[in-house]
Amino acid sequence: MSDPLNLDKLPKRPKPADEEGLAPTTFEDASAQALSEALRSSFRIIRLIMIGLVLLFLCSGVFVVQPNEQVILLRLGKPVGVGEGMLFQPGWHWAWPYPIDEKVRIRTGQSQTVTSSTGWYAVTPEMDATNAMPTAYGFLRPESEGYTLTGDGGIVHVKATLKYRVSKPLRYHLDFADVPALLTNVLNEAIFHASARFTADAAVYKDRPGFRDAVMERVNELVEKLDLGIVIETGDVEVLPPADLFDAYVKVNNAEEQRGTELSKARSYRDETVRTAIGQAKAIINSGLVSSNWLISQVVADERAFLDQLPLYRENRELYKQRLLAAAMERVLTNASVKFTLPEQFDELRLQVTREPEKLESKTSR
Amino acid sequence: MKMRKYNPVTLATGLLVLVIFLAMLFCFQVRQTEVVVVTTFGRYTRAIAEPGLKFRWPWPIQNLHRFDNRIHNFEKHYEQTTTRDSKTILVDVFLGWKINDPKIFLERFNGDMKRAEEGLEVLLRAAKNSVIGQHPLSDLISPNPQDLKFSQMEQEMLNSIKPAAKESYGVEVVALGIKQLGLPQGVTEKVFERMKAEKDLLVKQYQGEAAGEAIRIRSEADLEKERILAEAEKQARIIRGQADAEAAKYFKTFEQDPEFAVFLLKLNALEQALKDRATLILDTRTTPFDVLNSKQEVGTGKRQGEQP
Repeated sequence: MSDPLNLDKLPKRPKPADEEGLAPTTFEDASAQALSEALRSSFRIIRLIMIGLVLLFLCSGVFVVQPNEQVILLRLGKPVGVGEGMLFQPGWHWAWPYPIDEKVRIRTGQSQTVTSSTGWYAVTPEMDATNAMPTAYGFLRPESEGYTLTGDGGIVHVKATLKYRVSKPLRYHLDFADVPALLTNVLNEAIFHASARFTADAAVYKDRPGFRDAVMERVNELVEKLDLGIVIETGDVEVLPPADLFDAYVKVNNAEEQRGTELSKARSYRDETVRTAIGQAKAIINSGLVSSNWLISQVVADERAFLDQLPLYRENRELYKQRLLAAAMERVLTNASVKFTLPEQFDELRLQVTREPEKLESKTSR
Repeated sequence: MKMRKYNPVTLATGLLVLVIFLAMLFCFQVRQTEVVVVTTFGRYTRAIAEPGLKFRWPWPIQNLHRFDNRIHNFEKHYEQTTTRDSKTILVDVFLGWKINDPKIFLERFNGDMKRAEEGLEVLLRAAKNSVIGQHPLSDLISPNPQDLKFSQMEQEMLNSIKPAAKESYGVEVVALGIKQLGLPQGVTEKVFERMKAEKDLLVKQYQGEAAGEAIRIRSEADLEKERILAEAEKQARIIRGQADAEAAKYFKTFEQDPEFAVFLLKLNALEQALKDRATLILDTRTTPFDVLNSKQEVGTGKRQGEQP
């Protein structure tokens, strides 16, 4: 019969000494052997664990630099590499595990945003969610309401937002504890610096681009002066009059619009009038030219006709005149629309001099 | 006697542990971003700003104090102050500062950054009040950029705080700026009233300007029109006059027989005058109707008339 469990291959229990005919083995020897075997197994396991830990320790040094970041590696506190070589570019790298090496990741490819914190009205989360405008109280509480003072002693709310990118990671991280906080204050300074030289009206609506440029110019100046290790990508500046002056500004805007409309109409009238006058002037001058040309050509024609007919006329003056008169009368009578022939003898001729029938007639004919 | 044989792995591990333990006791790291002050039995020994692995005697012989050596941002509270022209304003200033002398910094604040900022706040308040008190408000806000001394006042504050911060606190102030400028609550009320009055005035000004300016533009346009037309009339007359002068040259020809010339011109004028839609009232003595009159000789009729 076969043995499916291979029981025959299991280690055999040692036979008692009397069974093998040898000297008897003590119980202590067996225990020591078992203990030794157990310890050997344990050491083997510990060794494996240790090898595993060493491997894990070594592998833990592998790190990846993402495409939008750069890494500075501090080995025993000192940056590894020299100059630009201190910056680990995107890809796989290896470092000793902490505390030998320490990785400082800096987001260089990604735009970061800071917003000014002192010139804007107090916004509650509800107002922020509904994009609600501030409430007018007749005054501003300096401890909670942000605003700036303008050059003409006015008050406006200003908020500046800046997008920037880290351009010098070493300077950005190694020389400054908190660049965004410092940059926020640079932005705050810039909005007050610009407000101080603009009138409230210029900042709010008359010269918004100029005001924005002044803020950004100041930001650039300070960033360059402090050498924050960043490059500014874009900047946006919002300006709003205080809630108490909304209506006043609307009225001013309306009045200005109205003035613009009136002036625009007047200018249109001026342009139209001058254009028409220029057209009429050209027509008058052309008319003068036409009539002068006609006169000259008429006189030339008359001269020619005179010279042509003069010999004929001199042959028989009266007859030639009558012939010409008759021909002229024929043409005149042919062209005349109404002709009246009166008898030779009549006592009275009454003429009703009115243009009414003619007008009626012309209307009818039209 | 037989020497016991040690496992080399065990030996190496033990040695490694020992080295690590000793390194922890006798060595320390200085990061690039920090400065470490070493004190021996509480006394200042040295300050290390150079990054790397450094040696020390173990605690409690030597102690380490680590400070961030980078530029820090410090913001002060919004505080009231008075200008030279007795205007009350609220000013908030920020600082960029870094540890310049770690020994003084440690002795003065025992390494407590919060206490350091409190010390800076005192210095800053004094500098701010002193500088603003020497300038009128128009140096801070003015529509005329030439009158403004905004940046100059910031520089004055910086110059004022710099030596004191360095000598007293071991701190270097690298930047200073006004981050907020305001007015007391009661003054904002007055400012609003003034601004409203200004806006009302502006509305009236715009309305007045609109009417006046529009009338001026229209009248100028009418004037310009008259001028253009008058100039055109002048030109047309000159042209006609030149034509008349030109035509007069041909009159020499007509002098050969003035009677015939006048007759021809009259005929021409007659035809031109009665060219369109004329109404003629003639009697039978008029050529050619005189043929109807048997008593009169043909061609002797002299009268003709017309009534348009």
